[in-house]
Amino acid sequence: MRLVNTIAKIIDDKCTGCKICAQVCPTLAIRMEPLNGHPYKKLAVLDAEYCTGCTACEQRCPFDAIQMEYLDEPYTIGVDVDEVDPDAVHELCAKARFHPEQVVCYCTGTRAEEVAAAILKGAKTPDDISRATGLRTGCTVECLQPAMRLLRAAGIEPSPQKGFYQWYGSTPTIWDIPDEVKAKYASRGFYFDDDIEFLQSIQKKMTEPKQEEEIK
Amino acid sequence: MTYVRPPIRPLPPRPSRYGVDPKFVTRRMADLPNMTSVLLEDLFPDSPKVLYPGEEGIQAIRRATESAMEHMDLSMIQPGDTVNVLASHHGFTLLGGEPYAEMLRTVYDVVKSRTGAKEVRLRAGVGLRFRETEEYIQRFELKKYFDRALGMAPIDEGIAIETEIGTLYGLKRAYDADWIIHVHNSDVREVHFHRQVDRAVKPFGMSYARIETRSTYHQNLGPRAANFTARAIFESEFVQSKFVGAVFMNMAPGGVVSIEADNDLYRINDTVMYDGLRYYGKVFHLLGMIDECIVGLDFPCPVPYVFSAGVIYCNFVGANVDLFDLSVKLPPYTWYTEALYGKDGRPLVPDVPPVNPAIKMVVHNYAWIGYPSAFFAEHLPTIVVGTKQAEIFEHDPQNLEYMKYALIASNLDEAMAFAYRTTGTDKVIAFDGAVGGINVSVSLAEDLCRLAPKASREVDTILLPKWLKQRGLSALAQEA
Repeated sequence: MRLVNTIAKIIDDKCTGCKICAQVCPTLAIRMEPLNGHPYKKLAVLDAEYCTGCTACEQRCPFDAIQMEYLDEPYTIGVDVDEVDPDAVHELCAKARFHPEQVVCYCTGTRAEEVAAAILKGAKTPDDISRATGLRTGCTVECLQPAMRLLRAAGIEPSPQKGFYQWYGSTPTIWDIPDEVKAKYASRGFYFDDDIEFLQSIQKKMTEPKQEEEIK
Repeated sequence: MTYVRPPIRPLPPRPSRYGVDPKFVTRRMADLPNMTSVLLEDLFPDSPKVLYPGEEGIQAIRRATESAMEHMDLSMIQPGDTVNVLASHHGFTLLGGEPYAEMLRTVYDVVKSRTGAKEVRLRAGVGLRFRETEEYIQRFELKKYFDRALGMAPIDEGIAIETEIGTLYGLKRAYDADWIIHVHNSDVREVHFHRQVDRAVKPFGMSYARIETRSTYHQNLGPRAANFTARAIFESEFVQSKFVGAVFMNMAPGGVVSIEADNDLYRINDTVMYDGLRYYGKVFHLLGMIDECIVGLDFPCPVPYVFSAGVIYCNFVGANVDLFDLSVKLPPYTWYTEALYGKDGRPLVPDVPPVNPAIKMVVHNYAWIGYPSAFFAEHLPTIVVGTKQAEIFEHDPQNLEYMKYALIASNLDEAMAFAYRTTGTDKVIAFDGAVGGINVSVSLAEDLCRLAPKASREVDTILLPKWLKQRGLSALAQEA
């Protein structure tokens, strides 16, 4: 669950229509609309329903044409994991090599299972996932790849919107590193195989209740 | 033995969109009764001599940078070419920021005068505070100095880079020149992330990288392999075709020890890794010996980055384990660790070490938003000074949960009274960026001075050889 307690406000007098805000918004909450009476000029328009107050637009606007405002009535967004088949959630997480309870967004505390649930409920892109769960709406930087890995695990390969750069695509995981690359850099402190073993041990815990571990 | 040295004056609060207005910071940890300071050279007599701060002032940085760059080959840069001087926000947080700013200015002057390059631009990356380097560019008037100066954020337009492990993404603006020069610092800083492996290469996977790459580092590669993301990008044909060399401010906890410049980044990499381990290792180890204390956060940086004697607060949170030891899978704090606390608040796997039990309470007197910090308040009793500061944390999209776990005190004295009363300890350490030493309570000063010789001996004889061996640096150390 992600608390939403601020919202972006576009100052029309300062907006030049450069569209950078629309290119970085993780929930696609900003679109460019033609300005009345101007054949070519467009202004940024906010769809308040999707704004999470992440500040990405406000921090990248070159003209200080966006400011953040506190909401009088904060609300939360999120996907209820209990509304989807738990086995399907586990299966998707396992395929993406995540423990379901693993936190995949450090700002919002979103867990892998919630992203999986969003996908099972119909999310097809990272933007859909962000709108549903709040993932990628804190720092907007560090949690793209879990979304991509879980989408790929569900057989979805989304394509980025042309001319926008919310995201470009999937990147390698530790399981993709070729053996010759591992060997080439083995002496320099990169513990590839040890980290693979460790990450796999987390996944194995999915099937072992925590209580058992404590008794041991 | 009783310590009577006055506390070292900490840096004043800095106006920033990421922190509370300086007018609200009315009292500092160093102002508290029973606070004193311990000089690093008193703790560790073998501390390296620093060229800055020093009698020569900022001129020492210019002189050392010019001297180091004399040996750098710039002949590939032609008069009509463009050059991007790549910088990062971290450098501006060291010693007030002026040394790094002066090194950048000097790099500009040297490149311009030796090559006649058409345009030498500053491209300064950030982490999670997208306006941060824009603030520094303004503060140090770098726009006036460089032909162009721009801040870059990881959500800015990207460029695909083919690497040995697949496609990663850099920032288009970082690479939109004929040549790049990598200008950075060796401050150990986020050892929980990079584990002092490939320290000099890291910005290629961070400050100069897109979100896809940063997310690869923090989510896809694992706690000890993560920094390979940076090397993969640096080794790419694309980056190598533009790379001229690097200029580094080589740091020790007491200040700048040298300026390193070379066309070979790996030569600098080995030097700064070795120096980082030996110069910072003793302070890390000593802080790990503290048995109990109250921590004061009091510096213009986000919560984990406030620092004391060159060690950032989040590394003190992990100081109950040896963060330099690569046989340790997970530090008590890093994002791979944070990910592994389940919904009931308990670790998902037994490998997750607890946070440093010596920290009995944290008094957040002054620290910024702009970094996900809820983990710290969730795991360590925290009191935030002032409702204004609490309010900006409550509304920071990266810290929506921080105040859920923290208390609010109306002023520092009330916060400390509560901390003393409930923890039962009078030992205090201030993470206030004091230069040349540590601001601590008299009681903790006595502990540190008593423990320092043991810490020094253990690092020299046991730990440093192990750290070097794990990183393939033993031969370099023998040569040195």
